[in-house]
Amino acid sequence: MNTGKGLFIIVVGCGRLGSYLADKFSGAGAGVVVVDREERAFESLSTEFGGFKVEGDATEFAVLKQARIAKADVVIGATHDDNVNMMIAQIARKVFLVPTVIARVQEPRRINLCQALAIDSICPTAIAGDLVLKTLEQASEKGQDGGHR
Amino acid sequence: MAKQAVLIVDDEKNIRLTLSQTLESPDMEVDTAVNGEEALVKLQEKDFGLVLLDLKMPGMDGMDVLRWISENRPDVRVIIITAHGTVDSAVEAMKRGAVDYIQKPFVPKEIREIVSRVMDRRTLEAQTAQDYDGWMEMARKCVNERRFDVAAEYVRKAMRRDPSRAEAFNFLGALLEIQGDRVGAQKNYRAALSLDPTYTPAQENLYRSTKARPGGEVIFGGPGRTE
Repeated sequence: MNTGKGLFIIVVGCGRLGSYLADKFSGAGAGVVVVDREERAFESLSTEFGGFKVEGDATEFAVLKQARIAKADVVIGATHDDNVNMMIAQIARKVFLVPTVIARVQEPRRINLCQALAIDSICPTAIAGDLVLKTLEQASEKGQDGGHR
Repeated sequence: MAKQAVLIVDDEKNIRLTLSQTLESPDMEVDTAVNGEEALVKLQEKDFGLVLLDLKMPGMDGMDVLRWISENRPDVRVIIITAHGTVDSAVEAMKRGAVDYIQKPFVPKEIREIVSRVMDRRTLEAQTAQDYDGWMEMARKCVNERRFDVAAEYVRKAMRRDPSRAEAFNFLGALLEIQGDRVGAQKNYRAALSLDPTYTPAQENLYRSTKARPGGEVIFGGPGRTE
């Protein structure tokens, strides 16, 4: 995977998604900063992670500045709190004019809100739900075609 | 075009990794060193045009490496690697001869821009500073940047091109005086005057530096004879 090569990417939240993305971007040759309030969270990163870790609350300006957000090409909000992710994405977009911002939101109803705020969003709940529906749909089509019930 | 050789000196693995990945290109040859001692070994083995240097390292630190480079390889450019909020030490390093600094966390585009700017400048210098005037011009530029050690090296190169110029001896004297070597400075002022007894900057420098209480401005002087 070469996604992100040469870009400067900030990932906020070093949980399962954040650490996965940070590792992937770093492996692809991007400049990566991962921010988390808990130092322990950085243990999820692989030993090959070549980026930077900033310990602090990303809702604070000083922490975002320490991560050099003004220079970022991409900011991803990947904390476990939808509101924090949306807020960081908004700050990145409106204040620091970051070209690409993505917020992870667990609550599907917030997807529309993100759209209204001109923020790209990823909703794992909606993605998983849609996949379940699609699988059921395919299964039912197979049933109609005379497949097993 | 020959490959440009860059040495990255940092004790942190992730810094070496990020910088190597960022600078990797067909016309760039990147090598790394984990501490000051290894850096010196590599600098003596190979002709590096540029060194990216961390200041804080266990054992021989970045300032020691920078000092060694200034004294032994003034043609090597040094860019300091500095952490967020420690720009002061980078500025101190620039006073001692480093040409620029890069701040952590690194922004790949920024790193490439700084490195290519420094490399281009170096290539330009190598192309333009071939004759006496070129080397003296480089020396003046270094004085403006307060890189006195490097300036002295350029003046010596100018002297090798044309050993008959009072201006170069006076200039070297002024550099030595600024760096605290008053006796060495006076020798050079006298050498300048033996080449051209009418060269006023050397006369004034020698007069001032031999006074019981030396004071006043050191004069670098200009080319040719003066009134």
